[in-house]
Amino acid sequence: MKPLSKSVVILGANGTMGAGAAAVFAGAGYNVVMLARERDKAEAGLEAAKRAARADALGEFVRAGTYGADLERECARASVIFEALAEEIGLKREFFARVDRCRADDSLVATNSSGLSIAEMARGRSDSFRRHFLGIHLYNPPHIIVGTEVIPNPDTAPEVLSAAVAMLRGQLNRKVIVTRDRPAFVGNRVGFKVMNEVAQLAEHYGVAFLDYVVGPQTGRAMAPLATIDLVGWDVHKAIVDNVRANCRDEAYQCFTLPAYIERGVTAGSLGDKTPAMGGFYRREGKSVEVLNPATGGYEPYAAPEPIGFVERMREHNRMGRYGGAMAELASAEGPEAELARRVVMGYVSYALNRVGEVAESTSDVDTIMSFGFNWAPPGAIVDLMGARRAVELCERAGLAVPPAVESAARKGHKLFSGCVLDYGRTFFA
Amino acid sequence: MVSPVYILGGAQSDFARNWTKEGKHFVAVMREAAIAAMEQAKIEPREIETAHVGNFAAELYAKQGQLNAFFLEVDPVFSGLPTSRHEAACASGSIAILAASADIEAGRYDTAAVVGLEQMKTVDSATGGDFLGTAGWYERECKGVAYPFPALFGRLGDEYDKRFGLKDEYLAHISAVNYSNAKRNPNAQTRTWFMSEGNAQQTGKFNQVIAGRIKVSDCSQVTDGTAVIFLASEKFAAEYAKRRGMQLSGIPRILGWGHHTAPIEFDRKVAESRDNPYVLPHTRQAIVDSFKRAGIAGVEQLSGIETHDCFTTSEYMAIDHFGITKPGESWKAIEEGWIEMGSRIPMNPSGGLIGAGHPVGATGVRQMLDVYKQVTGTAGDYQVEGANRFGMLNIGGSGTTSCAFVVGK
Repeated sequence: MKPLSKSVVILGANGTMGAGAAAVFAGAGYNVVMLARERDKAEAGLEAAKRAARADALGEFVRAGTYGADLERECARASVIFEALAEEIGLKREFFARVDRCRADDSLVATNSSGLSIAEMARGRSDSFRRHFLGIHLYNPPHIIVGTEVIPNPDTAPEVLSAAVAMLRGQLNRKVIVTRDRPAFVGNRVGFKVMNEVAQLAEHYGVAFLDYVVGPQTGRAMAPLATIDLVGWDVHKAIVDNVRANCRDEAYQCFTLPAYIERGVTAGSLGDKTPAMGGFYRREGKSVEVLNPATGGYEPYAAPEPIGFVERMREHNRMGRYGGAMAELASAEGPEAELARRVVMGYVSYALNRVGEVAESTSDVDTIMSFGFNWAPPGAIVDLMGARRAVELCERAGLAVPPAVESAARKGHKLFSGCVLDYGRTFFA
Repeated sequence: MVSPVYILGGAQSDFARNWTKEGKHFVAVMREAAIAAMEQAKIEPREIETAHVGNFAAELYAKQGQLNAFFLEVDPVFSGLPTSRHEAACASGSIAILAASADIEAGRYDTAAVVGLEQMKTVDSATGGDFLGTAGWYERECKGVAYPFPALFGRLGDEYDKRFGLKDEYLAHISAVNYSNAKRNPNAQTRTWFMSEGNAQQTGKFNQVIAGRIKVSDCSQVTDGTAVIFLASEKFAAEYAKRRGMQLSGIPRILGWGHHTAPIEFDRKVAESRDNPYVLPHTRQAIVDSFKRAGIAGVEQLSGIETHDCFTTSEYMAIDHFGITKPGESWKAIEEGWIEMGSRIPMNPSGGLIGAGHPVGATGVRQMLDVYKQVTGTAGDYQVEGANRFGMLNIGGSGTTSCAFVVGK
């Protein structure tokens, strides 16, 4: 397949991902057409894209239009059709049927779904459509987060897959991994497992305490429950429920949505996007309140009492001694340390056990966790604490030891393929 | 006999990082870069005999002086190592390189680590702009000026305009080329940002005028960054080549250097150069000296240049000062596309200070690292094909301290 020419149609231009994708494509010099149901919505998307790109002149590359007036004509001449509609499979299928009738035979069609079945979306479409269709999962916000998953459907032509990867890497500056078509793919499957497990634990231990014990010092830009507030409780619920309904793996229990989240979503508490209702945290001016999951009420936020090993990990990270931080985590005593190890080793075990099932390699898992989530790559965590120690800690916590970790412990080799400059930015103080 | 100075490689941090947001002390990223540099260059800590650290204003940005001592935090082996810190504003990194080179040429040491480092995202832009004003004559030309350096480099453009004529569209083109090159550099600060020539030409909500003719798109970035390189004597380089199964001739050397200082005040520079064909004659002389010491006749013997584009006007100045065009005719090189990748003399394949970022004290070392990558064919997606000899220009203040190098095998 020849390299894709630089014209893209974005369906769902008014959504966050549609506008973000427009900024990314236009930034790479693509001519972009943003389509929405109504013209003013598409134009609002264009304004959002300009804000994301911080560029008044983005409009040089971007036009707005509507599904009613422009979809058929624009899709017929685009080389890439990028779907960023709501995460409803029926809606997506309806649009793909329309695109199938009007697209150019050699155009690439991609869905930005964050975890629905790619094969299901392609079912019933023409041979040409299925050969040219795949998932391109950009993370939010795409102009900042560069991790990207590419998910072929069973009929995607190998040359289409290569052209899509080449476009994403070469022109859009993405960090790309190719994954299998399993619910939530790699990044969200692993990330939401960890976040939901922390949300479950918060019922017993409290929100502020959990976010402190498994906070940024454990290798993440943002504490887990604050992250759920950022992505939205509704999105969290959709992803977790989808994995629970479609996967039965060793961490099945971790995908049970806590009842308090279910109640919160029903009541309209969706996190940061519903500031008055709140989520785990509720902010008004300078005052911060924190949810009590047991009662559903909010209490004034009080910083947890400092805990020795947590503070020592922070100080190690602050000075760039990431091995010291991981040694501290591995050896600290007490129930708080057990809790932190349960979450961190649970992450390492679950993430690296996805190799072969949904991810191609350890390095792919490392790439998507560090560039999609801004979390420390699990391979680097294992190297920093020592593979033997990692095996021992997994076994002690009753976690499945990933074959790659077991092999690294036996043969004494490193798991992470880069150097400290590649993961240092994921350890926070 | 004076030993030639060899470059054994190095590493840099990702200039898109924000160390404050990571909660980091600058020593964290200095350690990361130094450790990665030793791994990549395959040098053991015990082989390093001295360290030179270039930094502009850690006292202001991070309330910390004596940055040389922080190199000891990288590895316990460095305890007792002779180290020093160097400052000449944006040329601090090059001054550190020159000092390390002098150590090797004098035969004092066979190896030197050169570190450039600046942490700038600790303060808001107005405070940072004021700090940068200390690179000029603060009391006379910067105190009380909102963004003194954009103002001074806007005046450099004005001086070109007065003497030769200057259209701002040429400056916009320089900006667009740097942003475009940066997209291929995995450590460039702006690699995921949007920029187009049209955007650089127009003034708007996101591309405001900062001072004079300088808009946001004409400026280099506020950057947290560090870079580390290793320099070595011929004796060490020969052993190093042997153990790595290489020829000594395969290791790049600093073939020539130039170093000149002009009066710190911009007005005096301009007054001094009134009857000179070059607007910044001391910068021109630093470049000429580097050519002479390298034994080359001129810019046509270079494969490319990493230059100091703290503002688009400084790259505009570099074009004629390198001799790519006659004085005052830099616009010709822009019109003909000569400075672009794949053309006659690519400038800033890395994206330069505008695209790659400008952690002030680290810039000279970052430039030298990029020049090393170019002549060893290891610059990846921003490699200038077949590069064997590269030029470099790093300036401090408003053209005050000029350091030029020619690097090749």
